[in-house]
Amino acid sequence: MRLYEKTASELSEMLNNKECSAEELCKDVLDRINETENKVGAYVSVSHESALENAQKIDTARQRGEKLHPLAGIPIGIKDNISTKGIRTTCSSKMLENYVPPFNATVINKINNAGMTILGKMNMDEFAMGSSTETSYMHLTRNPHNTDCVPGGSSGGSAAAVSAGEAIVTLGSDTGGSIRQPAALCGVVGLKPTYGSVSRYGLIAFASSLDQIGPMGKSVRDVAMLQSVICGHDKYDATSKAIEYPDYASNLKENAKGLKIGIPKEYFGSGIDDEVKDSVMKAIKEFELNGAEIKEITLPSTEYAINTYYIIASAEASSNLARFDGVKYGYRAENYSGLTDMYEKTRSEGFGDEVKRRIMLGTFVLSSGYFDAYYKKAIRIQNRISSEFSSAFEECDIIATPTVPASAFKIGENINDPVKMYYNDVCTVTANIAGLPAISLPCGMDSKNMPMGLQLIGNKFAEQTLLNSAYTYEKICGGFDALSKAL
Amino acid sequence: MNIDIKHIAKLSRLKIEDEKLDKFEKDMKSIVDMVDKLPEINDSLSLLDPTEPMTLRSDMAVTNKFKREDLLKNAPEVQAGCLVVPKTVE
Repeated sequence: MRLYEKTASELSEMLNNKECSAEELCKDVLDRINETENKVGAYVSVSHESALENAQKIDTARQRGEKLHPLAGIPIGIKDNISTKGIRTTCSSKMLENYVPPFNATVINKINNAGMTILGKMNMDEFAMGSSTETSYMHLTRNPHNTDCVPGGSSGGSAAAVSAGEAIVTLGSDTGGSIRQPAALCGVVGLKPTYGSVSRYGLIAFASSLDQIGPMGKSVRDVAMLQSVICGHDKYDATSKAIEYPDYASNLKENAKGLKIGIPKEYFGSGIDDEVKDSVMKAIKEFELNGAEIKEITLPSTEYAINTYYIIASAEASSNLARFDGVKYGYRAENYSGLTDMYEKTRSEGFGDEVKRRIMLGTFVLSSGYFDAYYKKAIRIQNRISSEFSSAFEECDIIATPTVPASAFKIGENINDPVKMYYNDVCTVTANIAGLPAISLPCGMDSKNMPMGLQLIGNKFAEQTLLNSAYTYEKICGGFDALSKAL
Repeated sequence: MNIDIKHIAKLSRLKIEDEKLDKFEKDMKSIVDMVDKLPEINDSLSLLDPTEPMTLRSDMAVTNKFKREDLLKNAPEVQAGCLVVPKTVE
């Protein structure tokens, strides 16, 4: 068995017991990238030298007997919208093709402090807008289970890399499902943490009130370990919450007995593939057989979630992306006459069509005469959706739903129909709208031999309960088979 | 609903090429039709989450966090340590 096939927690023990070195591990994963990257295309850039340098540094520190973080020397891939000092950070956009951040995102400082080995930057939908990684300006990323299919998105590179063994763990970001949807389509574990638990400082903003960075990996324990590294209050993010964050991985325990699981009927409607429904219901049944209490609940405003999400997210995006004007950094058009023309040409040449659509939708819903009809209405529904979840969590501990309506679709299948593409997020957007933590877990393969996802949603800052429930399901399954066997 | 795509593009500081106008108009129309379906509810409106108040920093200047030359490395055009932009006033 090669090192890249193992989980972070297994490798952490091996490193600690000196059964392998961080350098051997790093080299094995870099070799794996060399072997499979031409089929997968998960990376925008690979940092061979700095990765090996870090691995050697960790090995030396270990030899000297220094006390190291359990994840020291574990290779990690970073979504390319998270700022890395001195490493190009493109958001998979022509606009930032040559942008090298002069500072680190807070999560990167935390990952460096833990001694993790940063392998490189992961491909994504341009500015995280998309559900297939097809809107990337760089190149396509392919699903490791079937390279004719999309890996999902927007954190498609992060999910595909874990499934292909091209990284042990990765960071993604999730505004409407961008961690959980690709995790489901690639058959890996992905956590969107509670809004405010992970600092957004240095995350290139899409929709600031919804964006959250989160971990992806092959097991629940790996995701729990990484979440403990990245969470915590940060004075550079005014929405980050100052509370005590538990050590999720050390506290992991099975919790099926007496666990109250809510099943909202709105998430099992006609738009959801029968195979997905069946596999999710089978997972819920397994919880019940192990002592959980299943409760049917109702979240009536769910039907408006996708509309609400696209109004709020696009409104914030149109405002956040106003900064890309060709003045201080990023792309600038070559030929222009005057300031306004420079702005317009820079933005028209620098952004792809999907980004333009979202900016224009946001501009439209915020424009004079439409603000009350769209934005204010959407905020009212957002509040309604949040309070429905609050009531639901009075009677249950977690909520179980599908992550995605169906398994991965073919490359090119939905790219010309934005509305159809947007419906991929139908099960995931509510957790962002309400600021809740949610995790996607592999729950079997469909008849096309493609992975399907189970989503568990927790109460605000109840990551421990959520991760314990996820861990319980993993135990019930006898572990997840997160590595693709198709490559 | 009819969408004046040229007007929205202008507000967004975007230019849509003539050959793409129809496609953008069609896409925008179907997206707006999708988000249009929201019910009228009379719940009270709070634009900020009252249960999650933000901790704001004190209002003071931060100095020496970055070096000027490091920040200017990413600029499209620089002259004498300043950003170059087209003439903005006559």
